[in-house]
Amino acid sequence: MSEILRTIIVEDEELARNLLKSFLKDIDTIELIAECQNGFEGVKMINELKPDLVFLDIQMPKITGFEMLELLDHKPQIIFATAYDQYAIKAFEFNAADYLLKPYSRDRLLEAVEKVAERIQKEGVVSDISEKVSDYPRGEYLDRIVVKDRHKIHISPIDHVRYIESMDDYVMIYTKEGRFMKQKTMKFFENTLDPKNFIRIHRSYIVKVDEISEIQQYEKEAYIVILHDKTKLKVSKTGYKNLKDVLNF
Amino acid sequence: MEFRHPFITNPKLAIYYGLFWITAGAAYILLLTFGNGVDFVDALVEVISFLITFAIIGAAIWYVIKFSTLENNSFWRIILAHGIAATVIISIWMYLGVVLLKVLQPAPSHWLEERIVNRVFIGYILYVIYVIFFYAVNYYQGFKEKLRNEGKLKALVKEAELHALKSQINPHFLFNSLNSISSLTMTDPERAQEMVINLSQLMRYSLKHDQNEKVTFKQELENNQLYLKIEKVRFGSKLNPAFDIEKECLNAQIPNMILQPLYENAIKYGVYEATEPVDIITCARMSRDGLEIIIQNTYDPDVLSKRGEGIGLRNIRERLQIIFANPHLLRIEDNKKEFKVTLTIPQN
Repeated sequence: MSEILRTIIVEDEELARNLLKSFLKDIDTIELIAECQNGFEGVKMINELKPDLVFLDIQMPKITGFEMLELLDHKPQIIFATAYDQYAIKAFEFNAADYLLKPYSRDRLLEAVEKVAERIQKEGVVSDISEKVSDYPRGEYLDRIVVKDRHKIHISPIDHVRYIESMDDYVMIYTKEGRFMKQKTMKFFENTLDPKNFIRIHRSYIVKVDEISEIQQYEKEAYIVILHDKTKLKVSKTGYKNLKDVLNF
Repeated sequence: MEFRHPFITNPKLAIYYGLFWITAGAAYILLLTFGNGVDFVDALVEVISFLITFAIIGAAIWYVIKFSTLENNSFWRIILAHGIAATVIISIWMYLGVVLLKVLQPAPSHWLEERIVNRVFIGYILYVIYVIFFYAVNYYQGFKEKLRNEGKLKALVKEAELHALKSQINPHFLFNSLNSISSLTMTDPERAQEMVINLSQLMRYSLKHDQNEKVTFKQELENNQLYLKIEKVRFGSKLNPAFDIEKECLNAQIPNMILQPLYENAIKYGVYEATEPVDIITCARMSRDGLEIIIQNTYDPDVLSKRGEGIGLRNIRERLQIIFANPHLLRIEDNKKEFKVTLTIPQN
């Protein structure tokens, strides 16, 4: 007899929640502790209740299941439940325990729960859902960045991002609405932001092309970029070459 | 409508035209010299200064035809327009011809001077031939354009149907609906059955209308109500469809599959992204210009979406343009809280 799994459902459709609940009701090892209708509620409840297992839909209003995962302090085991098959690879990059395609059967769900139980026995409750292999491009560029600002979740359209600065394990994202910290790598943003609009000018900086007001030379072969608000950012040699390539000068 | 000269759009036609006049000129010279015993030089001067000049000026008659089309003007108006145009063109022709004649032959022979009346008469005859010729060319071009439009319309109808089918087998719609049915079989089998039937009807509708270009508004409306019913089962109180339809609209004719993309957008951008209830309101009434359909939905202004004119809206716009030749039949208003589409379908 394995341990009881404290479980949360994050799913926007009521009927889909009902189905999942009625399947879970018959599984002794599952204790359902909360149901959330969207990613915002999900972040709040998961960080508060610290469940062992989360059933997660992907396409939901406001923020997607993946964006929600980026905002968690507590990292539970994840079973995705979605109508789309094209997110499976991304889901496993997030180290998901399983990926259920709707509509799914009771047996398939049982199998998924068993997988989770096995995993927990092997590696303990807390899984590592931080992205591992997602530092390379997926062919599609980001159109928004979701960040947590104390207790509020902030969705920043990519047009509002001014520049990004690296800070050890984090990056600081400067937007029109203020600055936000996020646990991501510079490499990730370099690969997922549209290279026509964003240029890596330095190991520590990615800057939006439209924000650049001037490029100044202050020493032989040493340059700085001056933004419209007078912020000055260092440019490395490779960065200068990148600027040249994109801006054609 | 095409306002460029057919000789410009179709250079081949201009070459044939030139060859025709060179041949006609040569034949005329032969006729005059051998038939009527006119001096060869005189005949050559006559042909260059009058016949060839007419060939050049005559090409302009096309514009007269373009602006007094047979379809849009009364018979007497056309006759009057051509009478005036013919006199103007012939006057210009005569003037240019005489100037050219004086240049080529400063001391013209008696024969050349006497031919004035003759030339005016020939000018009017040629004018009439030109008019007939150009009307024929125009008719042919219009006919070809009509064929082209028909082909394009057929392709657009196919595209609309394909779009409708695609959106129905889109995983977001199909598999989530099936998942809802799966859920209902446990809690409410009757509603599950109802949903299976609705889903089947919806798919049958998009499969069967492959040839009919137009259907009644009633048919289209019922089909879209089915679609909304299915989505309503999934989204419950989040989706509030409302209808205000005047009775006399129901028998109006509308192009098929033209409403579906509008409801699909309302659900995609309104309901899928909302956490609050979204209203989708449809109003229809008969106006002076035909059937007027307004579909509006509220949406969450905070939601970021790259909302361009998708395939759905573009297809509607192009089809209305081809069928009714009016670019203002689809109007879109977006005040960042509410999205409103107004369709006007002319009836005759």
